[in-house]
Amino acid sequence: MSPAMLTLAFDTATSVATSALVRDGEVLAERASRAVRVLADADELLEEAGADPRELSRLVVGTGPGSFTGVRMGLAAARALAFALELRLAGVSTLEALAAGSPGALPVVDAGRREVFAVVDGAPAAVAPDELRLEPGTTCVGDGAIRYREVLEALGAEIPPRESELHVPRARFHAELAREFGDPEAVEPLYLRVPDAEQAR
Amino acid sequence: MPVPTGGRILGLETSCDETAAAVITGDGRILANVVSSQAELHARFGGVVPEVASRRHLELVIPVTREALGEAGIELAEVDAVAVTQGPGLVGALLVGLAAAKALAWANHLPLVPVDHLHGHVASLYLQPERVEPPFLCLLASGGHTLLIDVAEPGGFRVLGTTLDDAAGEAFDKGARLLGLGYPGGAAIDRLAREGDPAAFDFPVARVPGLDFSFSGLKTALLYAVRDLPEDELERRRADLAASYQRAIVRALVRRTHEAAEQTGATKLAVVGGVAANSELRAALPDAAFAPLPLCTDNAAMIASAARYTDAVPLPGYLALDAYASG
Ligand SMILES: [Zn+2]
Repeated sequence: MSPAMLTLAFDTATSVATSALVRDGEVLAERASRAVRVLADADELLEEAGADPRELSRLVVGTGPGSFTGVRMGLAAARALAFALELRLAGVSTLEALAAGSPGALPVVDAGRREVFAVVDGAPAAVAPDELRLEPGTTCVGDGAIRYREVLEALGAEIPPRESELHVPRARFHAELAREFGDPEAVEPLYLRVPDAEQAR
Repeated sequence: MPVPTGGRILGLETSCDETAAAVITGDGRILANVVSSQAELHARFGGVVPEVASRRHLELVIPVTREALGEAGIELAEVDAVAVTQGPGLVGALLVGLAAAKALAWANHLPLVPVDHLHGHVASLYLQPERVEPPFLCLLASGGHTLLIDVAEPGGFRVLGTTLDDAAGEAFDKGARLLGLGYPGGAAIDRLAREGDPAAFDFPVARVPGLDFSFSGLKTALLYAVRDLPEDELERRRADLAASYQRAIVRALVRRTHEAAEQTGATKLAVVGGVAANSELRAALPDAAFAPLPLCTDNAAMIASAARYTDAVPLPGYLALDAYASG
């Protein structure tokens, strides 16, 4: 019997940071809290599973888009873990994880500046919420959908209640979607926006 | 003291625009001190842009860590504790280093020592081979801070005075920009000032109560002086302006330092931070102990040094630590 494949996945890009521990495709446990706590959550997940960080086989991190600071905390932790444990790392877009948790829905992540991150014309982008073109009856999920509920509903969107877990990019989906595990430094954040100072130039 | 004399501390520092990693021993020997300065990256903005800095920290934090371990000739597994700057500084920048440090420590079941950046600057004096023994009065002057600090013992410090507006290093940067010099401005002004007459212009040194500092008026005075000079004369007198401006900053620092020494009865003086590299300040305080030049600007050796006198946080408590912007 080959040893079990133990995967730790986490996403700190949005207002709810998530983590999941997956053994051979089976989700052992999940957590949801804040970005600064994500490694505390990971520690609890391993503790519950009776495992040590050294027993991890691979890592998956949410690459955003979302809060720049949040995305960076996740990537810094993931790259550091990968370096320390000599593991390979995979990145999964936060929008893709949201979509996987709510098939058929349009993920909408709060981008600040009265904008949202969403897939527009096949590619993730930052747009004003009222610029989204929606098929009537499209379900929108994510913290951007909660924040701009009225704007999006006026465009014909259906939005689950605020407390629905469909709005959270659950890390079990990152683990499920992860395909390419490789060099941790090659997993890049998905900012989708240049810093203001660059823009002003 | 969390680490035995022969133990090794890995330090990380990402509070502003230097991404730094270092390895020191429990008794304060530097095994590696790697600093990747972002100065060039920020030069075109004339100052540090937090979002630009934070993005760069993420790119650099693991590479500089790897380099520091390599220079020290050790594996991460041979480290006994991880030290990291928790604040004060740019929160988004601090959080990159903090997240990385937590992960490195957690992966190896190591304690984490969250370090105060100001304590770190003071602790640049506790490294070998030129350790300065407390008690002393410490002037910390950098791009982000201008403080007079009473240091009774290596584990603590008490702030006696601070700047009410700009930091001394910031005054140098802003002055350099007004004079059309590069960023960072301290070294550029220092160089140009050597060719100028420090008495050529009379720049006022603000008198504020207590042991605090104020540099914003000085910057305004330079702005007016520059504005009132015709173009060709400005070009000719640039060195005089730099020399006079530098003299005013140094005077303010030195005067307050002497006043603080009088009030506290301190007999020993020390100067740390980026401005400690300034040649005129060094000349004006001949009896003070200055931090070694490579340890003046932000670095991680000083953070690891402070960690020797700071309580480590055991697992799993540190995994939820947050950064702080100001003390
Ligand atoms: Zn500093």
